[in-house]
Amino acid sequence: MKGYEGKEMTEHEMVEHEARQIREALRQSFPPVNPELRRDLWPAVLRKLDAHPVRVPWYDWALIGLSAGVFLFFPQLILVFAYHL
Amino acid sequence: MDLLRRFALGEIDAFETLARQFQGDIYAWTVRIVRDPGIAEDLTVETLWRIYRARRQFRPDGNFGAWARRIATNLAVDHLRRKRPEQSLLTEPAGPPQPDRLLQRETREKIQQAFRRLPAKLQVAATLALVEEQPYDEIADALGTSVGAVKLRVFRAVRLLRKQLNRLGVRP
Repeated sequence: MKGYEGKEMTEHEMVEHEARQIREALRQSFPPVNPELRRDLWPAVLRKLDAHPVRVPWYDWALIGLSAGVFLFFPQLILVFAYHL
Repeated sequence: MDLLRRFALGEIDAFETLARQFQGDIYAWTVRIVRDPGIAEDLTVETLWRIYRARRQFRPDGNFGAWARRIATNLAVDHLRRKRPEQSLLTEPAGPPQPDRLLQRETREKIQQAFRRLPAKLQVAATLALVEEQPYDEIADALGTSVGAVKLRVFRAVRLLRKQLNRLGVRP
């Protein structure tokens, strides 16, 4: 492949040339976007948080239940547990 | 106690402060990828919601902005994957159409069409690097990969795009 000045292009130059052409074509095909946020999104985030409250996973409840059961049947373990806190 | 630590503990006031502080940055990053203000707003809300849900995974000595940007990028990639090819990826500029001196409208549409067919990860890397001219290290950070991997994705995107354009009979 010939370059602009008629010289043979190396593979690296060809890759660069190709990338430049594609970059230019993309820039002309993609209209610029305005990166400025037009409104405060916090109220929408809050609504979403309220609509989907963070739930305690089932294994946390299972652990709580298991601990309660152990302390119910072996109350002396409460002292051991308290000692290690 | 500092703001990030309070956020990690689930204090909603701390999260509100962070959300208001970073929503503009998250939106700006997202809109550069998805190129639609409405979708970018929705994805920004989704990003902030996921950030709050994942707060326990955040290390208070870490970089909140970089973490938020990574979550936003993952959501944008997922969005591009889900997006049907016939939907328009690119918004038209507001106001009267500018004279198209270099590329005909048809050519532009074919380039957009070919670009939409690229894998989502290649689209993101190519959009941010080639169109938006974002620094490679920032793109790598947002994609959770290395600068070398981003360069490879951009290279592959260029190659694939060139092939598809040749198939469509377009020479950029």
